[in-house]
Amino acid sequence: MFHSFRQAMAWLHTWFGLVLGFVLMAAFFFGALSVFDREIDRWAIPATRFEPQPMPSFEKVLRPAFERLQPPPEMVEAMRPRVDGPMPERFDRIAYWSAYTTHRDPVLAIYAGWEVPGARNPDEQLYAVGTIDPRDGTPLPDDRLKIGSGFFFPLHYGLTLDWKNLGIWIVGFSALVMLAALVSGVVMHRKLFRELFTFRPGKARLRSALDLHNLTGVVALPFHFFFAFTGLVIFSATYYFPLGHTQLHELHELHEQHEAAALGLPHGRSGVPAGLANVDAMVGEAQRRWEARGMAGDVGFLVLQHVGDANGYVSVYRAGTDRIALVGQGIHFKADTGALLREDPPATPVARVAEFLTGLHLQHFRHWLLRWLYVFGGLMGAVCIATGFVFFVEKRKRQHARVGSQGVRIVDALAVTTVTGMVLAALGILVANRLLPEALPGRGDWERFAFWGTWALALVHAGWRSAPVARGLPNPAWREQCWAIAVLALAAAVLNWITTGDHLLRTLAAGYWPVAGLDLALLAVAAIAAAAGHRLGRRAEAAARIGAHGGEAAHA
Amino acid sequence: MPEPQIAHGWLLLGAMLACAAGMAWLALAMDVHARQVWGRGLAPAMAKGLRVLGALALAAGLWLCLLADHPTMAVLVWVMALAVGALAVALLLAWRARWLRALAPWVRRAA
Repeated sequence: MFHSFRQAMAWLHTWFGLVLGFVLMAAFFFGALSVFDREIDRWAIPATRFEPQPMPSFEKVLRPAFERLQPPPEMVEAMRPRVDGPMPERFDRIAYWSAYTTHRDPVLAIYAGWEVPGARNPDEQLYAVGTIDPRDGTPLPDDRLKIGSGFFFPLHYGLTLDWKNLGIWIVGFSALVMLAALVSGVVMHRKLFRELFTFRPGKARLRSALDLHNLTGVVALPFHFFFAFTGLVIFSATYYFPLGHTQLHELHELHEQHEAAALGLPHGRSGVPAGLANVDAMVGEAQRRWEARGMAGDVGFLVLQHVGDANGYVSVYRAGTDRIALVGQGIHFKADTGALLREDPPATPVARVAEFLTGLHLQHFRHWLLRWLYVFGGLMGAVCIATGFVFFVEKRKRQHARVGSQGVRIVDALAVTTVTGMVLAALGILVANRLLPEALPGRGDWERFAFWGTWALALVHAGWRSAPVARGLPNPAWREQCWAIAVLALAAAVLNWITTGDHLLRTLAAGYWPVAGLDLALLAVAAIAAAAGHRLGRRAEAAARIGAHGGEAAHA
Repeated sequence: MPEPQIAHGWLLLGAMLACAAGMAWLALAMDVHARQVWGRGLAPAMAKGLRVLGALALAAGLWLCLLADHPTMAVLVWVMALAVGALAVALLLAWRARWLRALAPWVRRAA
């Protein structure tokens, strides 16, 4: 079928790139937005616009907050059929209490899990999640959609297709294909180094689109490769090969027991009630020990296992803000006495590589330049895919027009939908977030509808305006959606000002970057989209003049 | 802002600039781009000199990154700074090629 290896690679690159390019575009674009997921959350939930807070005192703030938590009633109802005997009024067999924070979180997420007496599967637990103000422990409403971490981030890794983790499989498969596309792209590219700096915007569209495709693909090649690869590494352990939880369940359970014994940490409950020593003292001791190791730091993750049981213990993990690896250096204390149980030893070389790879992708570090560089890398990926689509269409447009095929017309309409339409959808949810009434029931659902609705409109518009493509001409939807982006981005920034009073002068003067940064980004998007729309308009006019002229000449 | 953060910022700015300049010198050492910038090709010795200068600048960029951050973070910043530098050079060559003359003022233009 193929005369050469290079030809085979070109076929693979073209067709797999086309089909999964649509998914990869979403992964890249929403991945770039997820770099600043917590900042987008602040923009979307004005009540949480205050400075990030350290892990609060357990005795003063966390303990009362944990004690208030109970599993949500609907979850209790859902579990009732799988339990022998009645459900308790109040759940008090605490499996764990935990709190997790980063250097970018003003609000604190807290988690609790309970063992259920009489549960047929003893591993099945009830759990609850709460959000508190870490300054005083006030519970905050948890029903607001965190657009950054609760919507854009899940879109990035699973397209929000939760059914049987379908989205996660699709995105993972696309990441695998992307690795193949990178390799085949490098094979196809005859002059990787010789044309590293080559971009010829003045040449024909086919050439300049390919230049830009190569440029954005090659200069950010390490980024593209490492993010596809580390994304797969993260997924594979949790979703693709969860052997420990499926085929090897019994062995896994036994291993956990052995591991707990080896570590000196209790595995299950003892059934003997016990008190809880001062947890703040344990946290202080953990911080002293980190400092003694030359790595003083803040607490990122605090876990209390089996609270109220003699086997209870407290684990304190260090926030990984100053290096790539995630939280670590756990120090464990016996809950009822506060005695040191175990100090995690430094990771083995293999574990350190794994930590580096996952940390590189999940980026919990404190480094604003590197965050922006990641946004840059993600946008390079998006441009690379978008120009790939343009190249595909440009290359076939005239030939399809001659034979009357609708192929490129469909591809082009889908490309409009995934390139400009995706930006429109993201802006649609931000605008809806500022426009919907504060007390609207199911507000988060309406915001999601706004997102998908905007995207669906973009698809309909792109399809409706696509007829010229079948005649070998550009689709005016590209230009029109550029203008729509400019309008919506400006509207989002202005609406933020009107509804919250946090205009740019105020947020910049206060140095409140989460909101100022997003507003500035919106204005930049509006300016770039307007410039692009303007240029496309001028080009269309020029083409129309030549077309009219050519038409007259033909009549003459 | 505390002192160390400012120093950190300067180191990173220096690293970004070193990477961009390094990429620019590597590009200028290539015949096709030298023609874009000066309207003529360079003598082989001059091109080699620029290539060495470019490599040294990239190495200096890495060194500045390592001064600024934990090594695991520094390598990531450096790799991404190289990407930004390469893109900036490519865009300058496309639209404002002559600006790059400033990086090698000792090279004479085509008559």
